[in-house]
Order: sequence, then structure tokens, then C-alpha cells
Amino acid sequence: MTEEEFQRLCDFLYRRTGMLFGEAKRYYVERRITERMGATGATSFASYFARLRGDVRGEIEQFVNAFTVNETYFYREDHQLQCLTSDLLRERLKGKPRGEAVRIWSVPCSTGEEPYSIAIWLLENWPQVDSHDIEILGSDIDTGVLEAARAGVYGKRALMRLGPELIERYFEQIDDEHWRVLADLRGSVRFSPVNLVESAETRPNGRFDVIFCRNVLIYFDDASRRVAAENLYENLAPGGFICLGHSESMSRISPLFEVCRYADAIVYQRPLEAARG
Amino acid sequence: MADGDKKRVLVIDDASLVRLYYRDALERGGFQVDEALNGLEAFEKLTMDSPDLLVVDVNMPRMDGMTFLRLLRRQAGPIGSTPALVTSTEAGVQDMAAARAAGANFYLTKPVAQDTLALYAAMLCGIPA
Amino acid sequence: MGGDDGKVLAALTSGTNDQRWAAARAAGDIPGGVQALGRALSSEADPRLREAFFTSLMRARSLEAVDAVLPHLRSDDANLRTGALDALRGMAETAAPRLPILLSDQDADVRLLACEILRDLPSAEATPLLCRLLEREGQVNVCASAVEVLAEIGGPEALPALAACAARFPNEPFLVFSIKAASARIGGQPPEHG
Repeated sequence: MTEEEFQRLCDFLYRRTGMLFGEAKRYYVERRITERMGATGATSFASYFARLRGDVRGEIEQFVNAFTVNETYFYREDHQLQCLTSDLLRERLKGKPRGEAVRIWSVPCSTGEEPYSIAIWLLENWPQVDSHDIEILGSDIDTGVLEAARAGVYGKRALMRLGPELIERYFEQIDDEHWRVLADLRGSVRFSPVNLVESAETRPNGRFDVIFCRNVLIYFDDASRRVAAENLYENLAPGGFICLGHSESMSRISPLFEVCRYADAIVYQRPLEAARG
Repeated sequence: MADGDKKRVLVIDDASLVRLYYRDALERGGFQVDEALNGLEAFEKLTMDSPDLLVVDVNMPRMDGMTFLRLLRRQAGPIGSTPALVTSTEAGVQDMAAARAAGANFYLTKPVAQDTLALYAAMLCGIPA
Repeated sequence: MGGDDGKVLAALTSGTNDQRWAAARAAGDIPGGVQALGRALSSEADPRLREAFFTSLMRARSLEAVDAVLPHLRSDDANLRTGALDALRGMAETAAPRLPILLSDQDADVRLLACEILRDLPSAEATPLLCRLLEREGQVNVCASAVEVLAEIGGPEALPALAACAARFPNEPFLVFSIKAASARIGGQPPEHG
């Protein structure tokens, strides 16, 4: 790959995803190009780049996958969980009427690591966890992963970031390789299917205080991103927060939200009052 | 000059070749340069850093330069008053007036020459001639 | 037109922010909605609502939707112009029949923005249009817009047009710079032009 080809690729990815690939990542980029050219049968950089530009068979996701953390596991990107208890919930409680539940949505939730992580984190790190009604909803378009999420059985890799005390406290070991989330905790998270691009499916879930929507919007095409962003906007209470994956940015997706920086994370907020142009 | 002493410019333009051209001019002029491709990304950058000057294009996807500027000027605190040099393909008096009304400190018509950019950047950053 | 449909269309220009928002999101799916959305944009000041209007038009993905968006490409309001461009780029294939006309529009700004729409077409379709523009375009900013897009999508067949354009504007340093950079990206040195 020539210097110019590298520049061209980097400019395209920066424009499309917001991800910056510089000289430091060049080796990894070249390696990924080689892998993907092999996988797609592209015989030249030019023909591969055309495929990438056209997002043929989701090639952008295939390419970028190698640079984002795709595996799901407990306490993944826990700096966002830290932000939740350090800042976001405090902000949300300021305006919240007495008795109104704190509602958190994990979408897509995949096999459940994320919503269960949220539950565990709150129990472990939020002193006010017993003073509030908390609803955690996990949703995904794939009903198969929802079944797995409800079952709540995980292997060692998924638990790798949890210390033995947490595993002891929230899981029961069922065999050498598997642990199951304890019934109480399983019961505290609800799971339901949703297609983020279908407002008829997203609207009934109501309004949330915080939405975790990580590593999915970046792969949608322009139209789907916007529709999903508008749906998520509707599902946020005014002043509510949405957290994206760490390589993602609303700057490539939608102007509906405002960026907020906290000590542990950058998040996006639905404004509190009606916008004035 | 140590990096810490350099004035910092955030170039906000969706054209990669424009950003490259401005970066070249500004770096040679002794500035430290960061980039954003639209008004939304610019706001993200502003949460992390306080540049001395913004160079703001008008026509950008997702959030244009005028909207960005109006929202910026509504922000409390020093960030809201960051000097902004607006660049635009529009050369009309009414466009310049609109930019001023949105909060521009200065306005240059594209294509902007490199020495023009460096000159006005220095002026807006308060660097003596 | 059903009573409910009529209510949705009426709500596009009246009612609270929430009501206009709901109407904007629903209007794309009802008869006459696309035209109503296009018209309502002219009087909608709220940028978040405009976003919803444009998204619905983009989702419609029809030539009617393209035609409803096009007038806003000419707007004096940068937010409407760029909103229109975003929407057209999101349905670039649908907008393709309108592009040759846009690329020769009287208004240089329209030509400039039209180049950007081509970015989202297959290179085989877009490159010839951009090269033709470069051969005859008189406005340096429009040329620069075409060059910027060619830097991403152009192949070696674009090199002669790029070189010819640079030769036409020897005293435009930014354009000369961009053409040089774009030509290098395409992977060739521009052929010498005497």
C-alpha cells in the first residue's frame, strides 16, 4: 500500500466513522487491508477500496471490527459505568419526581453482559441503589441472544474482568467452565426484542434516563443511523444521556444530542428544553 | 518554540484538502493545529481542549458553521468567546453580515490564501507583527 | 386523503414542537407527505425538527422526495442547505437523474454542493461527471469541490481532466495544491500540460 493509498483510506474512514488512523496504526491498517483483500478476493487496493466505499456486504464493519473491541464481557468499557454512578445518575436525579424509577436501557444487549454489568455495578458502587426504583432493560434484534441473556450463563472469558468476590457474590458455578447469574440478579433485568430502526418497536419502551447504545450505530448506513438516532432521542427523557462505543461519535450520526464531558467519559445528552435555532 | 508556547488553532472544515492546506500554512506560521470535520466534532474537541482560534467553514455536513457558531456563542464561560474566523465561498455583503451576527470575529472568502490565513490567524491570536 | 393523514400533514406546520416532530416522522409514509415535508421546511426554524423532516424525506427515497429537497439546496440558510445536502447524499442513487442538471446549474453554490452528492455514487458513475465539470467550470470553488471528491473516488482516468483544470487556473494556489494532492492520491503524477 502506497503512502497515498494509506492517506486516501484514512481520510475515508475518518470522514465516515470519525476514527483517526495515523502513522502509528499504519502497520495494523496494512495488515487488515491484506486480510480483507484476501477474504473478499480483491486483487488490488483500488478494487478493495471501491468495495469499502460502497460498504459492499458490510465491508466497513468488517474492516473496522479489527480495531474495536467486539467481544462482549462483563465490565467492558467500565469507565462509562463509573461515569454513570459518578455523574449521570446524580444529574438525572436532580429533576426527577419522587417515586419515579431510574430507567436504564442497554441496546443492543447481546447475550446480556452489559445490562447485568450495569446491575452489578450499581449494587457495588452506588450508595443510593436501595433508595430508588431501578429498571434495567436489555434489548436486541436477535431473539437468540436474548434467550441466552435470560439464561444468564457465562464462561471464563466473559467474567475475566470480575474479581473473585464479585463472581462469588453474583454468580453460582454450574460446572468447570460455566457460571450462572444468581436468580435475584437475573430477575432484576428485563429482556425484550427491538429493532432500533423501527419506531413502532422502540417507542413502547418509554423514556429512559440513560441509554447504552454501543458499537452498533457506527455500522448503520446514513438513513438507518438517523432513524435510529431519532428513535433513541424519543426514548430519552429530556436531559437523559446516551453512551456510545468508545470509537463512535455522534458527529457522524446526528445533531440531535449535545456532547457532555465528564471525568470518566464523554457522553451525549438530549437537551432539557426545546431547542431554539 | 516549545509546543506549549504555540497558539492553538482548531480548523473546522469538511474538505480534507482544505484542512491539509490550512494545516500547512498554520504550522509554518508557528501554530499548533487540530481538526474537526463539522460543528458537532468541533464541540467534541472543545470539551477536551481550549484552542486560541477557530477557523470555521460554513457548509459542513450534520452541523454547519453558522449553527455551530451561534450555539458556541450561547455557551457560558471562556470557550463561548473563542475567536472565530469564518471562511465561506460566499462573497456577498449579506453573508458577511450574517456571519458577524452569528458571532464571527472575522470573515474570509474562499479560496483562502495561505499567507492571508496565517496573517489573520496571528492577528486574531494577538500575536504581534 | 384520510382524516388522520390530513391531521398529520396539518401538524407539520402547527402545534407544539412534539406535535410537529411526530408529524415529521410520520409524514413520509402518507400520500402527499413528501411534498408537504418539503414545503414545511421553508417555515420550520427548529434545527432538530428540520433534521426529522429531512430524515423522513431521505427515507422516502423517491424522485419526489429528491425534488422536495432540491429547492433547499439554494437556501440562504446554511443549516437548510447542508441539511438538504445530507438528505440528498443519503439517497444519492435516487437523486442521480437530477445530477447532470445540478452540475450545470446557474448558481455556483448549487454546482458546488452537487459535486458532494457524487461522493456517494459509484465511482464509475460519478467520475465522468466530475471530469466533465472540471473541463468547463469557471468557478474555482466549484472546481475545488470536484477535486476534493475525486481525491476520494477518482481513478487514473481522472488525471487528464485534473491536469487540464490546473492548467486553466495557474494563479489559484489552493486549487493547484488540491489537484496535485488529488492526483497523487489517485496514484499518478498528472501528465504535463504545455
